[in-house]
Amino acid sequence: MARMKFLCDADRCIECNACVTACKNEHEVPWGINRRRVVTLNDGKPGERSVSMACMHCTDAPCAAVCPVNCFYTTADAVVLHSKDICIGCGYCFYACPFGAPQYPRVGNFGSRGKMDKCTYCSGGPEPDLSVAEYEKYGSNRLAEGKLPLCAEMCSTKALLAGDGEMIAEIYKQRVIKRGYGSGAWGWKTAYRETVAI
Amino acid sequence: MGQDQKDQLGRRQFFRALGGGTVAAAVGVSTAPLTATEAQAYDPGTDETRSRYRLTDEVKAFYRTNGYETLQNSTNAGKK
Repeated sequence: MARMKFLCDADRCIECNACVTACKNEHEVPWGINRRRVVTLNDGKPGERSVSMACMHCTDAPCAAVCPVNCFYTTADAVVLHSKDICIGCGYCFYACPFGAPQYPRVGNFGSRGKMDKCTYCSGGPEPDLSVAEYEKYGSNRLAEGKLPLCAEMCSTKALLAGDGEMIAEIYKQRVIKRGYGSGAWGWKTAYRETVAI
Repeated sequence: MGQDQKDQLGRRQFFRALGGGTVAAAVGVSTAPLTATEAQAYDPGTDETRSRYRLTDEVKAFYRTNGYETLQNSTNAGKK
C-alpha cells in the first residue's frame, strides 16, 4: 500500500510561494489560514535555504494523540484527516504539531477560534467524495480524481515532491547522488557528514 | 428485650439496608462510566478511509518529470 508523503528539496526551492498560492486557490482557503507556507532559513544571507511546509501526515501523528475528542483519522493512503463536525477548536493539536500545521479561522481563546483547518493532502474529508459538503469544509479532493496535491504539481523548480513515499524518496536519492550533496540546509553536514553515502 | 430495644433494632436494620443499597448504587455508578465512556478513536467508516491513490497517467507524468534528470531509467517511475 502506497504511503502518501511530502518531500521538499530545499536546494531547489526558490521561495516563490506558488505552492502556498495554489493551495489557497484550489481549496478556497479563507483569510487567516495558510495550509502551506514557505519557511526561509538565513534569509538574505549567502546560502539561505527555503523549505515549503504543511501537514506532514505523520505516521504516529501527535495531533491525533492529543485530540480530546478524537476527531483525527488516518486513511489507507496514510493521510491524516480530521472531521470538522467533531472538532471543538481547543487548539491542542496546534501545540502538539512540530510543523505548525493546524490553523484556525479566528484569533481567540478556546471556543472562539473556530474549527481547525489543515492540509488534507488534497484528499477531502469524511464526507462523500467530490461532494459539495466536502468541498465547503475541506476543499477539493484531487486524490479521488487520480491526481496528486496541487502544491507539488505546481512547483516550477520541482522542489516539492508528493506521492508514494518510496517513489519520491527514490527521486530525491538520485538527485542527491548526482549533485553530490543533500538539501544544503543548515545541519545537513552535521547529520550526514561532508560526503553523501546513501 | 424491651419495646424500645426492638424499635432500635428495627432502626438499625433499616439503616443497614439503606447503607447496603447505597453501596450497591455506588458500585453501579462507578462501573457504568468505565464501560460507557471508554476512549475510542474516531472511525468514519471503511469507505471514508479507503485508499484513493491511483497510479494514473497524470501521477506517472509527475514522477517522470520530477525524476527525468536523475532517474537512470525514467520508465521505472511509471512502472513502479
